[in-house]
Amino acid sequence: MPDTVIAPVIPTVPVTPAVLESLRTIVGDKGLILDEQGMQPFVTDWRGSTVGTAAVVVRPANTGEVAKVVKLCFDNGIAIVPQGGNTGLMGGATPWPTHSGIVLSLGRMNCVLDVDPVGYSMTVEAGCVLQTLQETAASHDRFFPLSLGAQGSCMIGGNLSTNAGGVQVLRYGNARNLVMGLEVVLPNGDVWNGLRSLKKDNTGYDLKHLFMGAEGTLGIITKAVLKLWPAPKDTATAWLAIRDPQAAIEILSEAHAASEDNVGSCELMSRACTDMVLRHIPGTQDPLKADTPWFLLLEWTSSRPKADGAEGMSDKMEQFLADQLEAGRVLDAVIAQSEAQARNMWVIRESVAPASRAEGPGLSYDISVSISKIPAFIEQGIKASLDILPSIRPYPLGHIGDGNLHFSFMGPKGMDRETLKQYSPAITRAVNDLVTSMAGSISAEHGIGIDKIDELAHYRSKIELDTMRSLKRALDPKNIMNPGKILRL
Amino acid sequence: MSDFVEKLRAVVGDKGLITDEAGKRPYLTDWRDAYLGKALAVVRPASTEEVAGVVKLCAAEKVAVVPQGGNTGLVGGGIPLEDGREILLSLGRMNRILEIDEIGYSMTVEAGVILKTIQETAAAHDRLFPLSLAAEGSCTIGGNLSTNAGGVQVLHYGNTRHLVLGLEVVQPNGDIWNGLRALKKDNTGYDLRDLYLGAEGTLGIITRAVLKLWPKPKDVATAWIAVPSPQAAVDLLSGAHAASEDNVTSCELMGRQGIDLVLSHIPGAADPLAERHDWYVLLEWSSTRARREGANETGLREKMEGYLGEAMEQGLVLDAAIAQNETQARALWSLRENHTEASKKEGPSIKHDISVAVSEIPAFVTEGLAAMRKALPECRPVTFGHVGDGNLHFNCQAPVGWDKKRFGAHAPEISGAIYDLVVGYGGSISAEHGIGLMKVDELAHYRSTIELDAMRAIKRALDPQNLMNPGKIVRV
Repeated sequence: MPDTVIAPVIPTVPVTPAVLESLRTIVGDKGLILDEQGMQPFVTDWRGSTVGTAAVVVRPANTGEVAKVVKLCFDNGIAIVPQGGNTGLMGGATPWPTHSGIVLSLGRMNCVLDVDPVGYSMTVEAGCVLQTLQETAASHDRFFPLSLGAQGSCMIGGNLSTNAGGVQVLRYGNARNLVMGLEVVLPNGDVWNGLRSLKKDNTGYDLKHLFMGAEGTLGIITKAVLKLWPAPKDTATAWLAIRDPQAAIEILSEAHAASEDNVGSCELMSRACTDMVLRHIPGTQDPLKADTPWFLLLEWTSSRPKADGAEGMSDKMEQFLADQLEAGRVLDAVIAQSEAQARNMWVIRESVAPASRAEGPGLSYDISVSISKIPAFIEQGIKASLDILPSIRPYPLGHIGDGNLHFSFMGPKGMDRETLKQYSPAITRAVNDLVTSMAGSISAEHGIGIDKIDELAHYRSKIELDTMRSLKRALDPKNIMNPGKILRL
Repeated sequence: MSDFVEKLRAVVGDKGLITDEAGKRPYLTDWRDAYLGKALAVVRPASTEEVAGVVKLCAAEKVAVVPQGGNTGLVGGGIPLEDGREILLSLGRMNRILEIDEIGYSMTVEAGVILKTIQETAAAHDRLFPLSLAAEGSCTIGGNLSTNAGGVQVLHYGNTRHLVLGLEVVQPNGDIWNGLRALKKDNTGYDLRDLYLGAEGTLGIITRAVLKLWPKPKDVATAWIAVPSPQAAVDLLSGAHAASEDNVTSCELMGRQGIDLVLSHIPGAADPLAERHDWYVLLEWSSTRARREGANETGLREKMEGYLGEAMEQGLVLDAAIAQNETQARALWSLRENHTEASKKEGPSIKHDISVAVSEIPAFVTEGLAAMRKALPECRPVTFGHVGDGNLHFNCQAPVGWDKKRFGAHAPEISGAIYDLVVGYGGSISAEHGIGLMKVDELAHYRSTIELDAMRAIKRALDPQNLMNPGKIVRV
């Protein structure tokens, strides 16, 4: 948590022994964690940088129990921090140190309730681990496209509450685009049943979209109807050494037509980024021995199996890469010849977060600008940061097709966390000022949580903040639902 | 009140004000003549600032505002109430395209731009704006956004809300929310954009938008296909995704009754197939990869031909014609697009814009037709729709010779039967047309108190004086 953050005013009603007994009646002993050691993982965020407190961790087994717990808290004015896999990067699921209420973990609600392959949908509980959902879809010859580094432990409820992004947004959209219906426990304990598997439904305000991305501040998502897609049957994955970020944009722009709109992913990585991964993650191999500063991971997928003798994705991509080499945008390239080779390329991309943790202290900004501004942003952003701390080591990467960069830095060699922290406010201001001057977003996919609450207040208009506050007050009048996240009231 | 009108005049000038009855009339009645409202004045601001000025004035004087775009809605959402105490605010003069970003695939427009103008502007820049519906020559984008319009390309590109990156909205107190962001990703707090989209002007007035653009299709195959049943249509679509490499852009189902109406009322309309069939599918595949002429070319047309041949062997297809050029494709499309016009010429009808899960369509059609005939044995069902979206226009044409009044007496029974069935299927009673005035009671009947209360809480929070298109969607 940034040092500059002053805790917002949140309800501090304690969990009395009587309330605790009521909780026990609702969820049973299995659903309560009371000892410090047991609670520790639930009150600490993934990066270990934010530590809060809670009176008790409550783990309901079904929607009915969630509703009763919330009703109890509502009646008593007790604050609730909902939590999924606790893999968030902004502290949204971590209680404030002043929190005196409960953490409500959805982890026990992990059933896949229904798979409808013909209707291309799947109904799930909020605590399902993302990877389980991907695998369940695959076992029905379907595809659930949400895919991100934490997929082995993050839960779908958290993904939806944060409108997670990931590496397939380019083609399939953010998490909110993968959802048809939701069930939500409202701050007063009422259950909103919006579990509709409809592609079209124009019947009043779109509550679904309001709850998604609200980071648990308006209610607790307990179930969802997810959209499925046909399973990919023909995939081509390539690792490209490219001229520069501008070339990446041009390559992507032409890839749409060349692949017949089958571009699945297009991930930009700097040399510094791939080197960091190769240094720290055992078993990763450099796909190209190219001494170039920028790489692109390009993947095309089609749901049509490659017919014998016909032109498949690999053939199309090979032709395309030859054209791009000739145009000088691609300097060198390799198309994965096996699933293992493709996996290796993906492991490099997906291991950036763990590698950065192993590397030591750093800074990272999850920003977006319109795609055409990406090259200028990278250039100016690096310059602005180096002006403040010349020895900081940038390793930008990102979902270039979404205009989304993880604009990241390793601390200078040998600099400890505390020293780096002194530079952090100035660099943050410089980066976010640049983002704002380019009409971009200071949080493209990670959300606001605790970490960016003051940044959001700084950059967003009063009109917009007031509108959000009005909505928050209207739906959560007692401010018990994940209070002090996103906004100060 | 004349005092109030003078204050309005001070904001928008003479050009922006219509107060005479004849001049107001076209704004006060809907396209189908189902509603006739009254208004103190029709106000036509020329800019966002003027809209804000008008709304601020109305907030101070406690006068309600009914925003209106092209006035092509089907549920009365853009028509004022009958008490004559509201003003009608038309966005029609705000019709500029402000910016086109080809590389960033986006376009910034004012709310009053006609949909067709947007489509044509995109095309002139080798881009596609995919929203496409029958009223595209007169509906305006602000109305499309406020109603989250659907249309014939939803299958591939999504509803209107999926075609938008950012919005500018004048709020009920006259504040301007600038959410005109051209970003594909922006997780910074509550999704206000999606709240205004589909709110039918009850939470604020959309004044500008940043729209997404797509690459323009370079290879299109369009076919008119006779199928044995709605089940065959669903199966045909299911296989088409892979066969086209995910390039299915439209899949429209039509019953014979609707085709007969079009053939008898629309000049120049002709049956593409020699024999009569009960059910038809209009299938279109589009790709951004251009056809390469040559002997070995396997463009979309060839792929579609192969697929339909296989489908015919499986009994999913009875007969089919693939358009050989754009003129032929246009002719096929006009058969589909003229359904509403032909039905209007035929006489009174009751419309049900419903959706169910795609896989439930066949069972729903069977049960729905039975329910309709049970409610009124002489009625003439006209079924057509976007089968890939699970969305049917499950309409009912009046028996031959019946007038509006006689037929109208049966409307509650017919619609009640259909909506009960829809709800039994977990479906929607308004898939794309919205609620407006027409379905306020239906929505209140079928939706839970919890959901209605949540909507009311939002409405009260953002429009505490209830001045923004009051009485639409939900009673506060």
